[in-house]
Amino acid sequence: MGLIARIVENAGISTICIVSLKAIAEQVRPPRTLHLAWPFGHPLGEPGNRIQQLAVLHAALQGLVPAQPGQILEPGWRWRREQYTLPEGWG
Amino acid sequence: MTDDWRKRSLKELYRLTGQIFSQIPELARLWGGAYQALNFADVPFTPLRKPLSACRLALITTGGVHRRDQEPFDMSDPHGDATYRRIPASTPLHELTITHDYYDHSDADRDLNILFPLELVRHLVNRGIIGSLADSYGFMGHIEPPHLNTLIQQTAPEVATFLKQDQVDAVLLTPG
Repeated sequence: MGLIARIVENAGISTICIVSLKAIAEQVRPPRTLHLAWPFGHPLGEPGNRIQQLAVLHAALQGLVPAQPGQILEPGWRWRREQYTLPEGWG
Repeated sequence: MTDDWRKRSLKELYRLTGQIFSQIPELARLWGGAYQALNFADVPFTPLRKPLSACRLALITTGGVHRRDQEPFDMSDPHGDATYRRIPASTPLHELTITHDYYDHSDADRDLNILFPLELVRHLVNRGIIGSLADSYGFMGHIEPPHLNTLIQQTAPEVATFLKQDQVDAVLLTPG
């Protein structure tokens, strides 16, 4: 996935990857990364948890703007042990 | 015959480890720490120069998402499938499905937004938070040589060209 991000970025488009394995992102070095140490198949969280999904989407899209090349953002959210709030104006 | 057997066992091994890693993220992290991915020193970078409300966004997932009327990804080849499926921005969620045996996508089958947030992004476009949504693309993760070369040389650059033609400003990528 990081490889695809690099190729798209090279074409002149900003990219952000959500990853669950930081070690691989550190090797492949996608342009911008949001790391959440969550199970495979759940990059935006749990099914039916719309507030969580929007919170992740918000963090990812925010990560597009000021990010430095190769930056890995880490909100540190634990799997199923966090309370999320709806990003302002996103309801 | 032997080749067939090897193919099947390899595929079964990937399927099993993928399912186990889906259940036990700590094991997946151990594997990730030891995994030798392609290693890059440089980082390509295109700064985003527009506010989100003016951005044209597209999604790319490597979770094996495609429309039900498109050919499924080839799971019979243990080295993966480097092809992609174009997913129009207005595609209803019930017309999408996942073909990928190497992770547990039962939760994503129930709520695709956890993997491919098409509906969430459409909501944000309606709210004026994101400028617009372009056509998105489904890939299948877990691509090994010789198909890795096809991805790097051919299919990923093709998608990048389409995104550029479609005047996309930003792409969110999500794995399986």
